[in-house]
Amino acid sequence: MTDPDPVATARAEGRTTLTEAEGKRLLAAAGVETPAFEVCSSADAAVAAAEAVGFPVVVKVASPAVTHKSEWAGGAGVALDLRSPGAVAAAAERVFEAADERGLAVDALVEPAVETSEGTEVIVGGLRDPSFGPVVLAGLGGVFTELFADTSHRVAPVSRAEARGAIEELQAAPLLSGYRGGEPADIEALAAVVETVGDLVDDQPVAELDVNPVLATPDGAVALDALVVLEEPADADGGGSPGGEGGDAE
Amino acid sequence: MPPFGQGVSVTLEHLFDPGAVAVVGASDTEGKVGYEAMANAVAFDGPVSPVNPSGSGTLFGEQFVGSVTDVDDDVDLALCCVPGPAVPEVVAACGEAGIGAAVVYASGFAEAGPDGEALQAETAAAAREGDVTLLGPNTSGFVVPARDLLCSFASGVADIPAGNTAVVAQSGGLAHVLAFLSRRQDRGVSAMVGLGNRATVGFAETVRYFDADDRTDAIVLHVEGTDDGRALLSACRESETPVVAYKVGQSDVGDFAASHTGALTGDHALYAAGFAQYGVPTVEASDRLLDAAAALGDSPDPDGPNVGVVTAQAGPGIIIADRIQRAGGRLPELADETRERVDDALRGVTYTGNPVDTGRPMPEFGDVVTAVAEDDNVDIVLVYELFEAALGFPVDALSGLAGRVDKPVLFATEGIEEDMAADRRALSAAGVPLFATPERAAEAAGVLARYAGLSDRREAPADD
Repeated sequence: MTDPDPVATARAEGRTTLTEAEGKRLLAAAGVETPAFEVCSSADAAVAAAEAVGFPVVVKVASPAVTHKSEWAGGAGVALDLRSPGAVAAAAERVFEAADERGLAVDALVEPAVETSEGTEVIVGGLRDPSFGPVVLAGLGGVFTELFADTSHRVAPVSRAEARGAIEELQAAPLLSGYRGGEPADIEALAAVVETVGDLVDDQPVAELDVNPVLATPDGAVALDALVVLEEPADADGGGSPGGEGGDAE
Repeated sequence: MPPFGQGVSVTLEHLFDPGAVAVVGASDTEGKVGYEAMANAVAFDGPVSPVNPSGSGTLFGEQFVGSVTDVDDDVDLALCCVPGPAVPEVVAACGEAGIGAAVVYASGFAEAGPDGEALQAETAAAAREGDVTLLGPNTSGFVVPARDLLCSFASGVADIPAGNTAVVAQSGGLAHVLAFLSRRQDRGVSAMVGLGNRATVGFAETVRYFDADDRTDAIVLHVEGTDDGRALLSACRESETPVVAYKVGQSDVGDFAASHTGALTGDHALYAAGFAQYGVPTVEASDRLLDAAAALGDSPDPDGPNVGVVTAQAGPGIIIADRIQRAGGRLPELADETRERVDDALRGVTYTGNPVDTGRPMPEFGDVVTAVAEDDNVDIVLVYELFEAALGFPVDALSGLAGRVDKPVLFATEGIEEDMAADRRALSAAGVPLFATPERAAEAAGVLARYAGLSDRREAPADD
């Protein structure tokens, strides 16, 4: 299930939103670590995938029409910490049934469950600003970004040192560098994610790219989710948006 | 294509350095823009022609001309004092007459809804078609005091002194605020420019022009919001002349600013991050902007953030020490040799750390300042003393000191204006940046420290 260019695929299908799998492939191809995952079209395939990647696993709805997976279909879109083939089959069935009820053709993405308490959740984002062009953003996940607006910005592309500076200037940065005797996170790996997101927004026709969260651990930085929205195709010229309906179902 | 970049080929010489000027829509009715603009423009050291098809006789001693195409002189610059709807036609006429630049004062353009946007697009198209560099619309103009080039309709601009700071403001009103303020600070400007709606001339072109301008040693920017932030940042990074920016609109003033200058006020965090990333120190007030320009424009480039402070009074010195550190500067330990020199110069000096506190003005004060300035641990020197009539300021010690030690030396004082006027003039003439309060001097030193800290950003190769 290799897809050499998820952006071209989405473009060819008239979509502006990439699936999570496409987004992760885009990141992985650029050197960002992602969990091993498989995209499955049946419950049986999901069980086989779970056995291949190893329990416990996560099952998520995979469709360009669903960008807010955890809110989709009353919670059927994401099932965490599945520890048996039976649990995986049931979760996958819920995804497919909910999709049928909504008239959607979807897949199920299966990937190993990651223990987020073993690291710090970081948000890395990129967007194309009308005035500044490509920019990147970094912030710590959860309340730090939502409540305290503790984010830092840079005009992209950024060097590794600049990316590191963006992380280190966060108010919450001490949490990454061994707060209360904890092991420090691999900030260099995290900076590499920021740098790569900057490069992707700069190189690709990306309107918005959210990697939320990136799990920063002492061993590296892993992209656990990815949302990529492409710019409207240039030839649309403001006169209509052929890819528009493939967007946010929320 | 991005909407910006259209200004790349714009040349600003016709605008800011013209040979002859025409005032289009010149009027003999006092109070009208066409009258006030003409009243100011006639101060220019070159020919100035009033243009109005219904004008007759002379205005301020200059013969009325019916059309820009009929002016005999080789006019470079037209000041357009006509109502908005007439502007595209006037700009087109300027193009036909070979006039290279125009200022458009009228409002009712992009800041005023869809009809105004269409009028601005039409005006910009006429400017491009006719090769006219256009300042505005929706601006109160610009002033170059050294040439008595007073292209503003505001009263008082004739009294703005010549200085070495170029004021580039998004708002014409703020441009005037800064220019008048610089006069009250005894500083002056090399130019004052209100960009207004930036139909063809924006921040980037203007920064490049004043970077190359011999009369300009510092450029200050007042920014509300621009649709070509990246071009602005790039121009600032490439400028060899120091640039300082004041980005307004930290809280949500979007609707008001949009109606004001026809630009959405952008995300403040992006501006703050972008200026820092591209090596531009920022400040948070109009007076601080001019203070920063004085510190940067009249000084050698600082090599680092270490400020050596000499004060004759403890109270102001404590404020300075506090503010410098909050503003991004550091207070280094003085070298042993410096302490010995200070001890030798002043027996029983109050405090020979940093700040050095001499307790009161004294004849040896200049020697102390010199010792601190020559300390290799110090990148920036800040001196504070109240004026003492019997002693005056250490003018001899301060004259040429900054150049000799190749580091900025700032001086702040307070006293009776008349008593210290002669000494202040002497320090000004010697190129010493002067400050009115301990806080403002400390914050200016902080800007110097931040400017030094950002130097590698400015030297970074352009990657776009």
